[in-house]
Amino acid sequence: MSVTAVESIPRQVADLGRHLQGPLLAAALYYLGAEAAFFVGTLSDRIFAPFWPPNIVLFCALLLSPSRQWWLFVLAAFPAHVFAELSVGMGVAQLLVAFATNCAFALIGAVAAQRLLQGPPWFGTLQKACLYVLITVIVTPMLVAVGGAFVPVMSARSAENYWTFWAQWYLSNAVGSVALGPIALFLFGERHGGLFGERHVSPQIPARVIAECVLLALTLIVVCVVSFESSATAIPNNFLPALIYLPLPFVLWAAIRFGSKGASSAILLVTTVLIWRGLNGPILFLAGSAESNVFAIQTFILGLSIPVLLLGAAIDETRHAEQTVRESEERMAFAAISADVCLWQIDLQTDRLWLTDHGRDMLGLNRKAALTRYDLIGAIHPDDRHSANDVLEAAMGDGKVAECEFRIVRPDDQVRWVRCRARTRDTGALSQVSGTLSDVTERKVAEAEVAVQRQEIAHLTRVSMLSELSGGIAHELTQPLAAILSNAEAARILLGRDPPDITEAAAALDDIIGEDHRAGEVIHRFRGLLKKSETRFEPVDVSALCNSTLQLLHSEMINRRVKIMTDFTAEGPLVAGDQVQLQQVLLNLVLNAMDAVNGMVPSRRILTLSTRIADEDSVEVRIADRGSGLSPADREKLFKPFFTTKEHGLGIGLSLCSSIISLHGGALSLENNAEGGATAAFTLPRQKHLAAT
Amino acid sequence: MSFTTFLVDDDPGILKALARLVRTAGYESRCYSSSQEFLRDHDPSIPGCAILDLRMPELDGLELQQRLAAAGVERPIIFLTGDGNIPASVQAMKAGAVDFLTKPLRREVLLSALSRAEERDSKERQMRAERQYFEAKLARLTKREREVLGHVIAGRLNKQIAAALGTGEKTIKVHRGRMMAKVEVKSVAELVRLAERASIEAAVSPSHGRVGP
Repeated sequence: MSVTAVESIPRQVADLGRHLQGPLLAAALYYLGAEAAFFVGTLSDRIFAPFWPPNIVLFCALLLSPSRQWWLFVLAAFPAHVFAELSVGMGVAQLLVAFATNCAFALIGAVAAQRLLQGPPWFGTLQKACLYVLITVIVTPMLVAVGGAFVPVMSARSAENYWTFWAQWYLSNAVGSVALGPIALFLFGERHGGLFGERHVSPQIPARVIAECVLLALTLIVVCVVSFESSATAIPNNFLPALIYLPLPFVLWAAIRFGSKGASSAILLVTTVLIWRGLNGPILFLAGSAESNVFAIQTFILGLSIPVLLLGAAIDETRHAEQTVRESEERMAFAAISADVCLWQIDLQTDRLWLTDHGRDMLGLNRKAALTRYDLIGAIHPDDRHSANDVLEAAMGDGKVAECEFRIVRPDDQVRWVRCRARTRDTGALSQVSGTLSDVTERKVAEAEVAVQRQEIAHLTRVSMLSELSGGIAHELTQPLAAILSNAEAARILLGRDPPDITEAAAALDDIIGEDHRAGEVIHRFRGLLKKSETRFEPVDVSALCNSTLQLLHSEMINRRVKIMTDFTAEGPLVAGDQVQLQQVLLNLVLNAMDAVNGMVPSRRILTLSTRIADEDSVEVRIADRGSGLSPADREKLFKPFFTTKEHGLGIGLSLCSSIISLHGGALSLENNAEGGATAAFTLPRQKHLAAT
Repeated sequence: MSFTTFLVDDDPGILKALARLVRTAGYESRCYSSSQEFLRDHDPSIPGCAILDLRMPELDGLELQQRLAAAGVERPIIFLTGDGNIPASVQAMKAGAVDFLTKPLRREVLLSALSRAEERDSKERQMRAERQYFEAKLARLTKREREVLGHVIAGRLNKQIAAALGTGEKTIKVHRGRMMAKVEVKSVAELVRLAERASIEAAVSPSHGRVGP
């Protein structure tokens, strides 16, 4: 405890020192400001200082520091005030009242400003500038002048000119607020971070800009001098207003070019020149007593400053908004480029096309050229133009976001796949379509490869299924061949008889023809499995397909002693599909069901194959077996690739069947059934309109 | 009655063709498309043989063969099959099939098998007829006479028979005479032949008194 106490003493002293820095500086400036004002008063009989700096100093000091330290500033300012006022012989009572009103001005102003303006940049928006003017130029000085007017009343020992005094006190504070206040806030409030110790690093100002500032300042000074002086000497009265306006363009230039900083600097400059010339040379405003001269000057300054300050703030606000927008655009552009997305916009009335640079590169268009919507359409692959256009038209129609994918052909003949999202905007006079383009070539290429591979796998599994059924094929062919042989030999004998038995021989030959067709059918059916072609959708009679499948499996059924019962709906339901692939699914599912009942008692070696119309729009096919069913563990993994319960199974069957059915717009399921086995079922969307070929 | 082939095959085309072929060889044919149909209709008294497809749904060829054997029905069977299945063929032949043929079937092959089947069938019928005949005669014998028959076909002398059965030679002679009269054979040799055909076993030892199939 003792160590830290000892260590903390120098730190506490340092802290105290830091805290006293501000108030002492403020007090010094207070004193200097007061002295400066008095000094101006001594220089001439014609005018005195048109504003009272110490108030502004105190106001700024309080505004820029935390309220808990305000008592320090007031405390420090008091001796400064006392010294300054005593040096001009002000009475104690007036001195105190003056101090009270000065503090009141600073305190009220600071409280209101901190509450309403909240923080730098003090003149960042028009609203803030208006509030500043309201607080420090209108309300507070008016209020404070009520008390402040008593100071000269006490000196004069008469309340006769109370309102004149009030006006003088008011203007003195108000003019200080516009002439000195903003500059002080800029100097101390932003660049050096005020008295809190924050640092705000200002960017490097280019030499060109500094030169411009200096030139402008010099020009302004010269113009002011010329204008104020000339207006007082031999110029006809009707030209006076024009002459007075001479500094205005330059002040406005400062406000527009440099925002509120420029505005407040220009105002201060004009005020200084006015005071300087007022002290020394002939100027317009000097026509009567010092008080009225100063009145005139104060009114002129106030009238000039308030709009210019507000303009400066408005300019600042606009610039800031522009900056924000620019930054936001840069961020978006960066994000878009990172995501390989480009942005485009077409103005529907002029057909002009705006495209980010990235987009121009994507389409292979010139970065500088002016583009129209035809440049965009022209970049699209001729085969895709029609559908792309349809989608864009649809987007323009109902205002929803439209998406489509199409190919573009770059000038170097490279073809890329692009995904486009578009929407319309109808905002009054504007009618635009805007959207994004992103390059999806890699994905498309991968998708195409996957599709090709899926076809390959489907074909391979068909071939392997074929080899599984090859014994059956041989058997199915042997039967008709045997019948043909027997018929042929019988016919031979019949024709060799005396007399030949022509009728019977003819019947035998007819049977041979029939058997040949039968053999042909078998070959045709099995050859269908070997086909490797792209998916083709045509009308398929589901029940006929089931029958055909059962015929393919005829030998297999006998071999394995499995009986298949059928229950087909009478209507011959049609679906749109690829015959070969659907047959593959049926074969797979029936073979699976046969495997499931392998080795069971004959009463359980019965499968049921049924078709029915499920509802208006779909056809359902079910294959039910009475095997041992699916275990819960199996059920989860059923459709996953490479899952199999067979010893020599590849495990592709069910996942492939599932994807084939999905491709057809249907769904495949495998569930346990009431007889203890499992039922495989799939639905396909029904096609009512076309007749089966 | 002429020799009939009973064709059992689930394939209608084959059934028709085989029937036609079989008819050109002069045989009668009857077609059945399933084993059950055949069993329902079967009349064992009709001479003929069955031609069975091996692979049929529900009841296949081999099972049908077993069923017939279990029911005591003697019917020569020729098997036909689309694929050469060795274990099946062995089982079929062991169970007494005439032959095991593969499709496609040549006419000569079928006819040769059929003629063998015909031969076997007639032989079996004959044997059956003779047995029935002999059994009818045997039914007339008393217990003693049957015992004597057993020893006579073993070639024993009356003396030995008497000793074996524990009676006098004279009694044996009487039994023997009555037996021979009832069975209606003229000589011992004929008796032996008849007995053989009827599968009646001779008494193994002098002390063995059993006679009977």
